[in-house]
Amino acid sequence: MHGSELAPMEPSLRSWLRERVAHYARREPADIDPSVSLTNYGLDSVYALSLCGDLEDHLGVVLEPTVVWDHPTIEALIAHVEEMLGGSSRRMDAG
Amino acid sequence: MTPPARPAASVEPAVPVMSVVPTGPAASTAPAAHSARVVIAMTVDLAEFDRALGDPFDPAAPLSFARSAESDRREEFPAEMCQELDRLGMPRLYVPVEHGGALARYDELLAALRLVARRDLTVAIGHGKTFLGGACVWLAGRPEQARALGADIVAGAPVAWGLTERGHGSDLLAGTMAATTEAGGYRVQGEKWLINNATRGDLICLLVRTRPEGGPRGFSLLLVDKRRLPRDRYRHLPKVLTHGIRGADISGFGMDDCPVPADALVGVEGGGLETVLKALQLTRTVCTALSLGAADQALRLAVEHAARRGLYGRTLVDLPHVRRTLGRAYASLFTAEIVSVFAARALHTAPEETSVISAVAKAYVPSRADELIMTCGELLGVRGFLTEYHEHGAFQKLDRDHRVVGIFDGSTFVSRHALINQFPLLARCHPAATADPAGVEHAADLTAPLPAPELDRLSLMAQGGCGLTQGLVSAARDLRALAVAGHASAWLAGLAEELSAHCDLLHEELAQFPPSSQFAPPEAFALARRFELCFAGAAALRVWLHNLRSGHDELWLEACLVHILRSLRPAEMPTDEEVFDRLFDALRSGASVGPPTTKGVR
Ligand SMILES: Cc1cc2nc3c(=O)[nH]c(=O)nc-3n(C[C@H](O)[C@H](O)[C@H](O)COP(=O)(O)OP(=O)(O)OC[C@H]3O[C@@H](n4cnc5c(N)ncnc54)[C@H](O)[C@@H]3O)c2cc1C
Repeated sequence: MHGSELAPMEPSLRSWLRERVAHYARREPADIDPSVSLTNYGLDSVYALSLCGDLEDHLGVVLEPTVVWDHPTIEALIAHVEEMLGGSSRRMDAG
Repeated sequence: MTPPARPAASVEPAVPVMSVVPTGPAASTAPAAHSARVVIAMTVDLAEFDRALGDPFDPAAPLSFARSAESDRREEFPAEMCQELDRLGMPRLYVPVEHGGALARYDELLAALRLVARRDLTVAIGHGKTFLGGACVWLAGRPEQARALGADIVAGAPVAWGLTERGHGSDLLAGTMAATTEAGGYRVQGEKWLINNATRGDLICLLVRTRPEGGPRGFSLLLVDKRRLPRDRYRHLPKVLTHGIRGADISGFGMDDCPVPADALVGVEGGGLETVLKALQLTRTVCTALSLGAADQALRLAVEHAARRGLYGRTLVDLPHVRRTLGRAYASLFTAEIVSVFAARALHTAPEETSVISAVAKAYVPSRADELIMTCGELLGVRGFLTEYHEHGAFQKLDRDHRVVGIFDGSTFVSRHALINQFPLLARCHPAATADPAGVEHAADLTAPLPAPELDRLSLMAQGGCGLTQGLVSAARDLRALAVAGHASAWLAGLAEELSAHCDLLHEELAQFPPSSQFAPPEAFALARRFELCFAGAAALRVWLHNLRSGHDELWLEACLVHILRSLRPAEMPTDEEVFDRLFDALRSGASVGPPTTKGVR
């Protein structure tokens, strides 16, 4: 059930993240490859932290600001967010 | 409550002055919002500390202008003066109470450092560096590591902080000193250069590359104890001759395939950059005290000179432009002081926001002090230029010494860049006022006891934005309400509203501003400067509003707001600066005018 809830989120999260990264990098979303490290788009490591705030707002979750350092591509970020959301709802199920 | 008075300064105190003194029970009642947290209502006796440093005009005093001039002339480390500070227990203030020291409140550390900087900036920078060297360990070290370092520091061991390398200044991720793992620890290869206390320090906290490819997770911190290293595997690089702080030990540290034990690691491997960026929030805040000390001294020298110097049958101080200039300089010092004190208190009350606050403070306070020192130098004329006359050339020394404060530990540009990195957040959070207003009010209310600092709440990004600038609208509204009720002048309320309108406009511009990562355009730096001004004015207003018990003295607030607004107003809107004349006249007549932040340090 959680899988089916998360599944439709994933493609939209990807395009949303591409749009955000494109905004910060001042490029077209189509130019942003989700498997390439954000630093390749000229996002300075500290500036990239801004993305965390956007992501928190967008998903309504609390994240470590350094989430983009530990998961430096869009793909890695999505995997992390999914694991986190999936993980927390599983814990809720167990409780 | 202060401890009993001690005998005269020249008598060696049996107990270090910097011991923590618990105050009475009344002071330990926490405001409701923070009642769940431990409140530190301890204090060190700053007045006694200052007395113990002696009369700076007496050449035999522990910290005198004569001694300072001598060590500066010889370009020799002021070892004796640093020993005096050790004897008085100053190093205890570099160590948080939980690790065996006396650092319970950052505002006290800043005030003590300011008192030292006022006498000799070289001593303050050379001695105070130990706090910077320890900061990463207080943030991320293991408890036993922090306790051991605390014991070393309290015993007088200097500690250095090695970030910079010869080829790379501000760009921390370019560092090449590298550590590779081996059985039992690391092997370290590389050099750190332009390091304060690199040679004198018994310990040095090093930022080293632990992943060949580097990146934000590619660096780690090692707290290296030289006394435990094989002597043939490390080197001290020669003292670097400098324009200012000539006596300081500015040198370097090289390691040649040097083994370092595994327990030297501070925090986790790969956590180096994150810890350093948080530590810089502490150290950039603390560095503002150096600027205040220099500014105090410069202004005192200028005012005394202006009062004594006869010219064209009058004294200098009676010339209208001199009065105006000195009054403006006081307003500038007051705002810088407020920003510094607010920033120090905010480390306790709003740690989530200090990525913004410390950047503002480090950009604002040293550059204001630079301006003030230049102005004072003009008034001193030739006396600011001579090295032997006029209090042993104290002015030309502080003038040279202070130059470095706006350069190291994050230059003004670097601090502004740190702020620019947070523009998207600041713009987004401002209209909704998402920050916690209690943190601001608590920082501004100087009588409120401070909660113990919770360093684990420091964050690389102020996720809720900046509470002080967000709350400017409501602060201006509160002042207007006071004016309507007859407790403040309508003119003052108008100044606050003008500032608030500037601040809102600035945030609209921030929201429109195209994102700028690595290479921020010049316009971004101009916006950052305006943000600093709005922040400084808001801090002054808040400190006034939350300390009305100490009197409705409007003059200092008016002077601070006019001082800020004259830099924010468009060029075609000239500022009437006569308030600076009134401020100077009031101060000259001996009236106790000034923000309550000044208490204890003037
Ligand atoms: C007396 C003294 C003591 C020191 N003590 C220590 C110490 O104890 N430990 C230590 O690690 N280092 C220390 N340093 C080194 C010092 O912190 C660095 O030199 C400093 O960080 C800046 O480096 P840089 O001047 O080489 O300038 P660079 O980093 O090469 O910068 C050159 C210019 O570019 C500007 N700039 C840099 N980055 C940006 C940016 N992002 N945006 C806009 N402008 C930028 C700078 O402000 C400067 O004007 C010390 C230096 C001195 C002079």
